[in-house]
This record gives sequence, C-alpha cells and structure tokens, in this order.
Amino acid sequence: MASTPSALTMSAAERQRRLELRDLLNAKYKYIDRTWDVVFWVTAIFIVAGAADITKLLFAGDWDFWTDWKDAQWWPVITAFATIIIPSALQWIQWVAWRFPTGATYTCVCLFLASWIGRYFQWHVAETYPLNFVWPISTVPAAIILDWLLMKTRSFVLTSLIGGATWAFMVWAFNYIPLAPFLQPAVFMHHVMTVSDVQGIGYIRSQTPEYMRHIERGALRSFLGETQYVSLVFGGTMAVIGYWIGQFIGRYLAVWPIGRFIKTI
Amino acid sequence: MRLRFAAGLTAAVLIILCGARGAWAHGEAADEPFLKDLTVAFFNVHISPTVIKVGDPVTITGSLKILETWPYTLDPPATAYITPVVPGPVFVLADRTVNGEPDMGSIFVEKGGVYNFNMVMRGRNPGRWHVHPGIAIQGTGTLIGPGEWVTVEPSATPFRFDVSLLDGQKVNLEHYGGAFVWWWSLAGFIIGVIWMLYWTVPKRTVTRLAVTIQLPINDDAPDIGLITPRDHFWMSVLAGITVAMMVGGWVYMAAKFPVRLPQQTDRFEPVSAAPGVNLATVRGTGATYDEKTSTLILNTQIKNISDMPLTLTEYSMAMTTFVNGDAAAIAQAGPADYTGKLDVEPNTPIAPGETRAVKLTMSGDVFNDERLIPLHDPQQLIAGLVHFQGERRKYDLVTVKSVLIPTEFQPQYLP
Repeated sequence: MASTPSALTMSAAERQRRLELRDLLNAKYKYIDRTWDVVFWVTAIFIVAGAADITKLLFAGDWDFWTDWKDAQWWPVITAFATIIIPSALQWIQWVAWRFPTGATYTCVCLFLASWIGRYFQWHVAETYPLNFVWPISTVPAAIILDWLLMKTRSFVLTSLIGGATWAFMVWAFNYIPLAPFLQPAVFMHHVMTVSDVQGIGYIRSQTPEYMRHIERGALRSFLGETQYVSLVFGGTMAVIGYWIGQFIGRYLAVWPIGRFIKTI
Repeated sequence: MRLRFAAGLTAAVLIILCGARGAWAHGEAADEPFLKDLTVAFFNVHISPTVIKVGDPVTITGSLKILETWPYTLDPPATAYITPVVPGPVFVLADRTVNGEPDMGSIFVEKGGVYNFNMVMRGRNPGRWHVHPGIAIQGTGTLIGPGEWVTVEPSATPFRFDVSLLDGQKVNLEHYGGAFVWWWSLAGFIIGVIWMLYWTVPKRTVTRLAVTIQLPINDDAPDIGLITPRDHFWMSVLAGITVAMMVGGWVYMAAKFPVRLPQQTDRFEPVSAAPGVNLATVRGTGATYDEKTSTLILNTQIKNISDMPLTLTEYSMAMTTFVNGDAAAIAQAGPADYTGKLDVEPNTPIAPGETRAVKLTMSGDVFNDERLIPLHDPQQLIAGLVHFQGERRKYDLVTVKSVLIPTEFQPQYLP
C-alpha cells in the first residue's frame, strides 16, 4: 500500500509541484465547473441506476422481488454477488477521477431510488401486489462501509478482500432486520409456514410456481443447522469475485473507450 | 416539415391507441397445439359463483389427467403446482386441496395420474376477470384449463388477508410489516444521501480531475486537499452511525421476533384418483380437421374389455370437453366457451367383448381461438380422454392419440 509522501521525504521540486496542484485544485472557473458538476451528477443517476438495477435483476431478480425467496441459503450468496458489481465499477471511476470515496454509495443511492420507484409503480400500482411482498433490498449501508474502507485503505485489493466479505454480511444483516416479521410462523392450509410463504401462496403468481423457488430445502442442514453462516461465508467469496468483475468493467469497459476517444481528438 | 411530421406521428399514435383492443387471455393460444393436446386434459371444471363482492369466495373445482401420451420432446412430468390462473393478484388463494389433501405447495405427479382439485379464492380487486385452473409442470410450464369470467364488485369494507400467527396474533397481510420495511430502508438511504452531499456539494469534479491525473492512484493527497483529515472524521462518523443503526436494528429485531422459521418447501405425492382398471381400449385410427367449419372428426377403434355394456359419454382434449348428450348435460360439463356437442356414430352402448369403429365429431370456435389443432406443426398429433359409463362404474377415462390431417393446408407465403 503506497501512501502520500511525507514532507520530510519530499524533494523541494516535489513540494513545489504539490503546492501548484493545491492551487489548481482550488482554481476558480467561471462557468463549466459547477454546471458540469450538476449535469454530471444528475444525468448519471439514470445511467448508474439503470446499470445497477439491470445487473441486480439479471442475477438476483426473483430473490429481490419476493419475500418468500429471501431465504437462508441462496439469497445471501446471489444477492451479494449481484449487487456489488456496479458499485465496484463506480468506485474505481470516482476514486481515480476525483478521489471521491463515493462510487458505491452513489450507485446504491441511485439503485435505491430506481428499485423503489419500479416496485411502487410497476408492481404495486400496476400489478397491485402489496408492497410488503415485493419490497426491494437496500444496499446503501453496505456501500457506505465499502466506500469508507476504500478511503481508509486506498487499496482496491484490500477493499475487495475486506469489503467483499463485509458487503455480503452488511447486505444480508441490514435487510434481514425488516425481513424478520415475514419469517414469523403462521398456520395456513393446515400447515405451519412463514408469513412470507403465505404471501407467496396467497398472492397468486400463475407463472411463478412454487417449485421455481431456489431456496433452502435442507441440503446444508448438516452444518449443525447453521445454513445462514455457511452461505454468508460463500457469499463473501462471491462478493470478492463480483467486486473484481466490477473493477474490470470500471477499468476497461467504462473508462477505456473514453480515454481512447480523448486521445483521438 | 417538423409540424407535419409531429401531426402525422400524433395521428398514428391515436389510431393505434383507438384501434387497440384489450388483451384478456393468458397467452395459452401462443403455446403449440401439441403442448396442450398431448400433455394434460381438464374435465368437469366448475368456477362459481361468477359474481361476487370484494372479500367473497370463488371456488374452482375440477379434475385433470396427465396423459400417457406426454410428448417425448418434454421432460417427463414429475413436479407440478396446481394453481388458479388469473391476471395477477386480483384474487388471493385462501385454500387448496388436491385429491382431498391440503396442498400448500408443489406436488409430485406421474403420467396417467388423475388429480381432483378444489381451490378457494377471495376477490381482492374489483373488475371482471378471466379465471382458469392451471397446472404448472416443471420443465414444461403452466398448462391452462377452461376459464370463466368472474365479476368482482366493490365492497364497503377494504380487502383484508388475515392470517393467524402461531403466537395467536392475527395479522393483515395487505399491510403487515410494510411500514417498517419502508422506514428502515429510508433511514439507511438518508445516511447515503448525506454521504453523497458531503462530497458533491462543496467539492468540485473538474479541478479535482486535473489534479488526480498527476498523482498515483493510492495517493489521497491530504496536503493538496483531495481527502482531508476532516473528511476522514466525518466519514467515520457516518460509517459509525450506519453500524450503530444496524446493531440497534438487530437488537430490536431479536427482541421483537425471537422465533424465525425458514421458508417451508413441503411437497407430497397425492394418490392418483384414476377410476381403476380401464374398461375399454381405444385406438385412434385417424383424425381430420376442417378449418372452415371448425370441425374435428376423430375415428377410433374401441374394444370393450369389461363385462358390462359401455356408453361413450364425453371426449376431453386440453381444456375442452364435448358431451354426448343434451344441452343440460353440456352445460354441466364446464364453462360454456370450452364445451360442446359430441356426435358419436354409432351411438349405442358397446357390448362386452365387442370391438367397434366409432366416429367422434365435434365443432367449436374454441379449436381456433385456443389454437388446439396442429395445422402446420412438427407433430401433427392430437390426444384426449374418452369418457365411458357403465352400469356398475360411474365413469372411466381412456386416453386416445391420433394422427391429424387437416382437410386442406392453407397457402403459406412466408416461412
């Protein structure tokens, strides 16, 4: 891990260069500066929210749509992987361009808006599913910690290793809290089941039959019944992989074409 | 020019919107005929009442047989889910039994199995809705039975979906837990917004980019002012608040909901309700379909292998049933759009041991509307259930399969 050179080890020329950079940082531009900021941050909301939402829905759609898919085995693994990819890409872009530890938070704030708008208007208003059955998860708290880790370590390797595992835990832990009421045991159709199961049976999904649910069926119960923790460890590993897929997107697919274009002109 | 273009575009949109008709089907006509004919036959389906108020029950009863003619192009039927097919959650499913047993989820099925279902729904959204029974089979998709229009009228009281928790508490699933989900998620979102405002409002992007491109990637340059100790302090405060919020939320959750159950995935194998050993054998000797009159003729060779005379009473194919009887008998066979008259020649009981050539003739718009007849398909086959009645057996169901040849193939100008 490299760091900012200290005043003692810097040469006079280096000190002078950094002073000039300080002046440059605080330089006042008349028009483009703030206008560009507003245009960028606002227009990027749609692109970033779209990218993050599509990635989440592509990999973890049903786990995010329904409470009866938010299980102990698959949900922590799939969701951790699916939701870290675009935040990681944005983390690279915003850190490299502006030294902002904001890429993950920005992505997840945008994703939060897109997800809730989509669920409210498409699923609740148009399809009339109750929102308590189709609520989206929130990744904002996990993103704050991921950005904080990058700011503290200034290392993408350390952020991926510590942050990937932390991401998987935070995404699960933050969303498990509002999920708890839906895991209450209830009696329905002469069976004991969770409230979320009742929602899945009651609110009819003709084209999403019960057998399509990829949820825990008991295969990991040999781990002393602690399916959740095994899945979280695996989810952490998957999140590290997802983080580096995001880095690939950020470093090569998102920024590289722009660099090529700028060089050309 | 621009004005004319805009006017033309507006006119085109209006024409399309005014000319568009509502879509009320569930997509079953898009399925290939073999997918409906060779797989499952529904019969004796009844949906009642057809006019209710919000909150009132509607019952779907009926039977289906998974045919022995199941296409080789599909995975064999093993896991299935019997469900109402409705346009979204306009009803809620309140109860369901299959062959008399409570059915909370998926079931195990087999070729030749007969399943009697009973589903009770309660009206949730006012409107006029098309209601079908259906069976989703893993690897195949949802196969739909005959449907009926059900009108749900508004009620003075809002819809409730009450469920009893094991601790005795009764909760309304229309709203239960929803407010907590929203406010909890919003609280996390607000911390994120504060984080973003801290960085984006006072700090500019243009001048920072000019600086960062001249520095190593892991140099956060506090001396230059990119990320200052003040930034570190406030970001740590926000991260700390986030962690504290989670810990607090977890303590609250553990105290308020100490018991949490994994989602349940029970399945069972209903004992088939097939009527027993078949009383007859039926061999399809060829079928024709006349598209102009929507008439299907099925030629069969029937052998009575029982010790009693048998009467051919009905023929069921996919979601349709044709009845060898009067108008009252046809009306009792199921929803009117999916039933019709069956002409049987010769229409006399088949004596024990007798082998007879029998011609079945039936007509109906349903053949075209639901695209039940293979007119241009890789499998020019139909299959269905022939219903018999004997003096000591109320009914028998025998599967028949036949090659189908249309009376004429329609010209085809595009592939």
